[in-house]
Amino acid sequence: MSPAPGQPRWGDEQRAHEKDLLRRFATLDPDDPERSRLREDLVLMHLPLVRHLARRYRERGEAFEDLVQVGTVGLIKAVDRFDPDRGTEFSTYATPTILGEIKRHFRDRTWAIKVPRRLQELNASVAAATDSMTQSLGRAPTVRELAQELDVSEDEVLDALEARHAYATSSFDPADDDDAPARSLADSLGEVDEALAAVEDRESLRPLLEALPERERRLILLRFFQNKSQSQIADELGISQMHVSRLLARTLSQLREGLTAA
Amino acid sequence: MSDDVTLSFPADTANVRLARTIAAAMAARADLPVDQLEDVRLAVDEAVSQLVGDAESSTIITCVFTLTGDGLEIIVSGHTRTGAVPSTGTFSWTVLSALVDSVSASSAGRRVTLTLRVVRHIPVDA
Repeated sequence: MSPAPGQPRWGDEQRAHEKDLLRRFATLDPDDPERSRLREDLVLMHLPLVRHLARRYRERGEAFEDLVQVGTVGLIKAVDRFDPDRGTEFSTYATPTILGEIKRHFRDRTWAIKVPRRLQELNASVAAATDSMTQSLGRAPTVRELAQELDVSEDEVLDALEARHAYATSSFDPADDDDAPARSLADSLGEVDEALAAVEDRESLRPLLEALPERERRLILLRFFQNKSQSQIADELGISQMHVSRLLARTLSQLREGLTAA
Repeated sequence: MSDDVTLSFPADTANVRLARTIAAAMAARADLPVDQLEDVRLAVDEAVSQLVGDAESSTIITCVFTLTGDGLEIIVSGHTRTGAVPSTGTFSWTVLSALVDSVSASSAGRRVTLTLRVVRHIPVDA
């Protein structure tokens, strides 16, 4: 039987029972219906642990039950992956996996949601004004010009630009439902080879560039090897200059990480 | 009154964003168009990350931002493990050269200095 919720300290008997279940679970064939029944028992048994861990993240603007739900996803993963022969306690093994899911939830969703509404709106206005002023001026506007155009302070414009780098992308960038790339993949891979000829760390760089989505790869080629400006690239790819800037920052930091790891 | 702004911080990746933020604010003061401002932010990110990556443990990275009238100069320096001047053949260098108008590197002892110069891309009559 499961221990009563809110009673995380188990007696020896419950601990022994947990071990039996985990051991039995690990031996069952993935298709065995008993396996899914056992998994359910194990998950229910450890829900208090999930609730305990989720409680640490209350007060951060996410509904507690949502946190328990994503934490439970981590718990299920832990149940599936646990190896009883390793000699580790299940709770020790499961805790980082559960916390990992909860943190990932915050990374993926909350930061994006928690951008203050005023900043989100300002960001959208700045992005739109940048693109329309670039059309009319024939170059990108300055922060001062944007502030005048939008009747806000220069600091506010800077905050709006900064927000795009400080927060998760999803609340700002339109969904990445790419139109078909203007050129074929083979073209851009050919360009990669050409561009890399002069770069001495090309052997580590090439696989990283090849692994990028087509649009990001084009972005890197256009900005760094063909010296197009962010505004020109925005025009060519049909996305806003702010979106170009955000994608460049993200892609560069990915490449840097990859090169460091290489 | 000097127009220099100096930022010093321990060589830790967590501090790189401080340099980015100040870079953007200084680029705004230099009246750069926003695409160039974002390039400056990326360039400082790249230069500082490069130095932080090579840094001796517990060294201090210093960034000096100077308004030059027609743009901005940024000098990033810190002690690295080898003191070697960064090679101009790397991808990182390619990136820096594309983002700013000129970039140069020097070293004295183990102190490596990267100098980035940015000239406002707006015609004078604008």
